[in-house]
Amino acid sequence: MSKFGRGTGFAITALVAGMSVAGMSWAGVTDKDILNDQMTTDDVVSNGLGPKGQRFSPLKRVNTDTVKDLRPVWSFSFGGEKQRGQESQPMVKDGVMYVTGSYSRVFAIDVKTGDELWQYDARLPDGIMPCCDVINRGVALFGDLVIFGSLDAKLIALNAKTGKVVWKKKVADYKAGYSLTAAPLLVNGKVITGVSGGEFGVVGKVEAYDAKTGKLAWSRPTVEGHMGYIWKDGKKTENGISGGAPGKTWPGDLWKTGGAAPWLGGTYDPDVNLLFFGTGNPAPWNSHLRPGDNLFSSSRLAINPDTGKIVWHFQTTPNDGWDYDGVNEVVSFDYKANGKTIKAAGTADRNGFFYVLNRENGEFIRGFPFVDEITWAKGLDKNGRPIYSEAHRPGNPAASANGKKGTSIRAVPSFLGGKNWMPVSYSKDSGLFYVPSNEWAMDIWNEPVSYKKGAAYLGAGFTIKSLNEDYIGVLRAIDPKTGEEKWRYKNYAPLWGGVLSTAGNLVFMGNPEGYLMAFDAKTGEMKYKFNTGSGIVGSPITWEMGGEQYISVVSGWGGAVPLWGGEVAKRIKHLNQGGSVWTFKLPES
Amino acid sequence: MAKRTMSAVLGTMLLAASLLSSGATGAATNTAQADPLNSPMWDYNRQIFLGQMPWQFDARVQVSAPPFAEDPTQVPITVDASALGSEIDKVIAWADFNPIQHIFTWYPGDKVKPRVSLRIKVQQATPVRAAVLTRDGVWHVGGVQLEAAGGGCTAPSTGNADPYWESHLGEVASRRFGSEGSSRYRFKVIHPMDTGLVNNIPEFFLEQLELRDSAGEAVVKMQLYPPVSENPVFTFDLSNSTGQHQLWLRDNSGNEFEQAL
Repeated sequence: MSKFGRGTGFAITALVAGMSVAGMSWAGVTDKDILNDQMTTDDVVSNGLGPKGQRFSPLKRVNTDTVKDLRPVWSFSFGGEKQRGQESQPMVKDGVMYVTGSYSRVFAIDVKTGDELWQYDARLPDGIMPCCDVINRGVALFGDLVIFGSLDAKLIALNAKTGKVVWKKKVADYKAGYSLTAAPLLVNGKVITGVSGGEFGVVGKVEAYDAKTGKLAWSRPTVEGHMGYIWKDGKKTENGISGGAPGKTWPGDLWKTGGAAPWLGGTYDPDVNLLFFGTGNPAPWNSHLRPGDNLFSSSRLAINPDTGKIVWHFQTTPNDGWDYDGVNEVVSFDYKANGKTIKAAGTADRNGFFYVLNRENGEFIRGFPFVDEITWAKGLDKNGRPIYSEAHRPGNPAASANGKKGTSIRAVPSFLGGKNWMPVSYSKDSGLFYVPSNEWAMDIWNEPVSYKKGAAYLGAGFTIKSLNEDYIGVLRAIDPKTGEEKWRYKNYAPLWGGVLSTAGNLVFMGNPEGYLMAFDAKTGEMKYKFNTGSGIVGSPITWEMGGEQYISVVSGWGGAVPLWGGEVAKRIKHLNQGGSVWTFKLPES
Repeated sequence: MAKRTMSAVLGTMLLAASLLSSGATGAATNTAQADPLNSPMWDYNRQIFLGQMPWQFDARVQVSAPPFAEDPTQVPITVDASALGSEIDKVIAWADFNPIQHIFTWYPGDKVKPRVSLRIKVQQATPVRAAVLTRDGVWHVGGVQLEAAGGGCTAPSTGNADPYWESHLGEVASRRFGSEGSSRYRFKVIHPMDTGLVNNIPEFFLEQLELRDSAGEAVVKMQLYPPVSENPVFTFDLSNSTGQHQLWLRDNSGNEFEQAL
């Protein structure tokens, strides 16, 4: 909090009440606003442009004909020396943009001018342990609150007008390796969050809090064997053990530090009233220590938002040995087959396969590779379970001569995935998924490891290799009904930002080289690019104001790639850091 | 001292005259009263903190500080307005030449003596002021010149180099002393009180302080600002010495701390 933080020193209540942002009316964000977000083009009040996460906008003033004239209107700097990865998706409501920066910072910006209205900087302890850069992916809005998760694993609700803290809750202990980086999900007055920390042997969980007060409503562990809880009239009540009982798919005590962190947050579909959360890798990485499926690691979970119970699960990589987190966003979409409407969900996994599931019950409809090469599995069986290629699982260190290092193998995709966190877009108009993906391999080997609180719990060594001289990143247009790739755009550096599609027959995304790019949604022809000065690893949005269509994206290179890049590092080490948000529109006609 | 008292008296007279003659706001007439500490920041800060309300320099508002700030990050000061009696609405303290001037705003209430001691940070030699609003709507201003080598506000907190605070944040050590029909509380709170003026360390400071009696009623209410020193130490004198008290604090990050004293 700065700017409005220190007034002339009267009671804080008076200070807050007396504050008004000139010329702006504040109606407050309702559940209905969030559910209708995709169709209400004058605001963006949910992560994913609607809780289904389709990242599709019906706006078409900016289209394949006009996009060539797109111009920046303003650029806002996050300031300071904290220019690390900026993976946020901005939100816009009543003329104000709410956007997060690295190191748990939140900014409110007047969208007409780019002026700062307020800024909140969380004071983070030095002991935070985010595995993969000090990023944040955005806020949730509800009523007059701006809610976000901090790197020290707290949920913080700020007053939307002043940036003052209204409530703050500890979700988990940062000293045990927990952190929060995802944008919280807002469903029926509850703010729902997962946790990060799968590299530290945490126990993943999804939790719902009353958005107005911050009171915990329910807690659902994502590792088999842990008890869930629900709070009724302030009373903590047992709500069933996740998976029924401990030890069914885990040996010994390993479920107690099982990981499966749902670190990317979730989506929601009101048609079936289910939350969809993906879960991360099981801990440790060394899979020989934990024979079994290790539920619910590397899975998609459908959770009832009212009860906090798991309704169905679908595991993409049972007994994962490659760090193939299954966190990727589940995007709800409908399609017609044999005259029937199928309530489907599409999700592109880190393991290189794209899955189409029945979102009512989690049944596997089809799956297919969306990357050019997959070595660790020969394919998927009729239930969508991978058919492993045992030669491509890192060897057991216990079987090696000195017991210290197992056989190293080459696996594709690398642990950073065929797709990592960067969200896909689904266009209703084209019926295609636009998938930001990467083509890379890794050498990986296992080592013995034991759990120690707050220490990395991997039991593996690894290094990334590129597969092609001229590109790693590939933006693909994929037909979810056939698995056919309609077009691709190849990028030299790995892609790490989210995608937006619009009714203007356009697909927007940024690249680490700094360009905001627009493609023809049907042909993949690049129609526009503009260099924002630093790499783009955030997700673009679009909205309209005064009859004009605006597009915004954050710029600021970082994220996991520069930290774990291996051989890839040489392709990106010249990219400069940044921290800003850019807003574009067409010149007035 | 004599000079200050003189000007205070003069100010009162001018004020009275202006009220008699026109009933207008007194602020305009007060500008005639010269600042006894001769600070170029006086008019600027007076307008920020006192606005258009009537005011006067008043020797009954005593601000004491050591002659020289040995450690500019931990300067003990005392504000004592006991001589004004009990009809006190609020007390504002500031340091003219600090990058953040405001130190605290205090609503003493009936159950505490209008006297507080605490430690503050100063950036350079500066007047330290206290303005006391009595219930008749007049600000009474006292102050003292504090000499210092400086640097207290833009030096990183020691908490920045030592992660001790991370596991002890908000811990309170307190003592209670009996003295002449009253009871004195002194307590220390673990908090970095970061000013936000040091690169890459956001402001992080205790913002609200309440001392509550056993019925939960606040007997001391104070708003704090970043010039209050790291791991601050406060001393309050309660008029009514009976019963248990609870200390409640909230910082600008929304952390709340509660401690029975």
